[in-house]
Amino acid sequence: MMLATEPTQVPSAGGEQPCALELRALSKSFTLGSGLLRKGRKLHAVSEVSLRVPRGQVMGLVGESGCGKSTLAKMLLGLTSPTAGEVLVDGRPIAGANQKALARHIQPIFQDPYSSLNPRQRIAQIVGLPLRVHGIGSPKEQAARVAEMLDLVGLPGRAARQYPGQLSGGQRQRVAIARALIMRPALVICDEPTSALDVSVQAQILNLLLDLKEAFGLTYLFISHDLAVVEHLADRLAVMYLGRIVEEGSREQIFGAPRHPYTRALLASALTPEPGLGVPDIGLGCGQPDPSAPPSGCAFHPRCPLAEANCERHRPSLNDAEGGGRVACHLA
Amino acid sequence: MSEPAMPLLTVNKLRVDLPVDAGTLHAVRGIDFHVERGEMLCLVGESGCGKSMTSLALMGLLPRRARVTAESLRFDGMELLGLTERARSDLRGARMAMIFQEPMTALNPAYTLGNQLCEALRRHRRVSRGEARERAVYLLERVGISAAAERMDQYPHQLSGGLRQRVMIAMALMCEPDLIIADEPTTALDVTIQAQILRLLRDLQREFGTAVIFITHDLGVVARIADRVAVMYAGEVIETASAEALFAAPSHPYTQGLLNCIPAPGKTPPGSRLQAIPGVVPSLVGAVEGCAFRNRCPLAEAACETPPPQTRIAAGHVARCHFATRLADPSRQPQPKVMS
Repeated sequence: MMLATEPTQVPSAGGEQPCALELRALSKSFTLGSGLLRKGRKLHAVSEVSLRVPRGQVMGLVGESGCGKSTLAKMLLGLTSPTAGEVLVDGRPIAGANQKALARHIQPIFQDPYSSLNPRQRIAQIVGLPLRVHGIGSPKEQAARVAEMLDLVGLPGRAARQYPGQLSGGQRQRVAIARALIMRPALVICDEPTSALDVSVQAQILNLLLDLKEAFGLTYLFISHDLAVVEHLADRLAVMYLGRIVEEGSREQIFGAPRHPYTRALLASALTPEPGLGVPDIGLGCGQPDPSAPPSGCAFHPRCPLAEANCERHRPSLNDAEGGGRVACHLA
Repeated sequence: MSEPAMPLLTVNKLRVDLPVDAGTLHAVRGIDFHVERGEMLCLVGESGCGKSMTSLALMGLLPRRARVTAESLRFDGMELLGLTERARSDLRGARMAMIFQEPMTALNPAYTLGNQLCEALRRHRRVSRGEARERAVYLLERVGISAAAERMDQYPHQLSGGLRQRVMIAMALMCEPDLIIADEPTTALDVTIQAQILRLLRDLQREFGTAVIFITHDLGVVARIADRVAVMYAGEVIETASAEALFAAPSHPYTQGLLNCIPAPGKTPPGSRLQAIPGVVPSLVGAVEGCAFRNRCPLAEAACETPPPQTRIAAGHVARCHFATRLADPSRQPQPKVMS
């Protein structure tokens, strides 16, 4: 109800339960190098991304750096506005909703717990800030909720009086999680939440994220480059390449029978701890494309081992695939 | 070559101490390991375990305030300890080279690639400009860079991260060193590029017969490229083994914990709880008594307050743990106590 511009809104068309998050042809482009008299080049960071994340599910989003994952996350958080398309949270568009209202529904957990916490504030202040901003409860009630939240994320009570500098990386990420969840949002955008952590601590944080999801019925959009982690956590996966989704499907579909050649290459390049297998030859060629000058047709064709003449001319659309999921490939 | 039995590098009781506000940080605490000629040794551990400090100590690149001591640091029959800075500098780049994690900060943005590639060769060998350039172009081609001759006149910012790391590998190979130390060379790269760079490094290492100390925190990488592995924890080497032995029979509770806490596709049920290692790494400021892992170890007993012995599991497989022999044998696994 915070998001709708009109006070009353039809629950949702067709009686279908609204998704926690729905993206409709979401696009974002930036203009590069424009000057007073010079027309800049357009960089399409995200192009026509459509995605539905059902409530209570974990949607994994994978792709190489520069594929638009983080731009997508920023649009969902209202940190940058889309050039086209819309974002719906619980079936309601977020365009026009103010930042404060949006923040009650969607919260982020970022990669680097060193730069995302204010070093001059105590942990209690950091975690309690959303409550103060939204004017929820008396200072006493706020303190109680902060203490409860810190306990939920597995931090000792004394952490409330400490500064971020006194905590380890894993503890800081717990603080970031506590801050994200104190407003009880329905949707959490996890942008590489364990990439900056050591493996032994990564497991602790992944366990915590799974526990909290169960406890609060959370929906996660989980952005990561670590395919083993995504496979462990995600119910569904979307694979991005140069701003577009090239394949989307359930965990079993993507990991069991990937259909897009890029998905296959991505899975082949994940190094599982099995000695004797050596490093696979993923046959991708060495050139990563320039997002400001994407190749014609299917953007993946210069690196694709299966590319045909048609792939250079026509961009494949993201179509429903046999057996569920969607894939954008002429040859799939 | 003349003495095949002698390792290329033997490290004996290496210690690195750094003065900090609160006292002395014992970053590396008396480690032993060796590197054979032409082998890939992976030094694996989490942040702060001393793996980078070890590599910088070997290269002689630590700041002056760091105190490096050892019983010996023997490189190809030569004692590195006590060498003059001049003699160290003659070795660096020529006989031991280094590849860093972030190629953008390791390359000089103000010089062309050709300039930087040729510099090392011209510094250490009597070669003409033309000969140096020829070798640089040859190596750029070998590391898979197309249009190598044109690339020579480009600047680092004109290259992608993967290409820059290829240039770093070419640069390390310029003088045909005996040893390359690669400190997390693929951590900053995408997985697809990482696989390509690892293949390249592995192929060139075999072809040129270069020994490599590969520093990483990623056990997936270790499994795929290492001949031998040394696992570090809190400034100590706690287990050394061949790659096969380490993954088949990890014999230190920390190594076992590390292997258990990464989700293994096909083995770990999705969404299940992972076996995390509880707690955090101890502070290395001041003395560490007994086994440094005991506050996180599911097997810790009173005995662990004394320094754990170097236990030999098999030929070339050593673990520093009171229970190593039992851990190595799956049929005699000790029962872990329930952690609170």
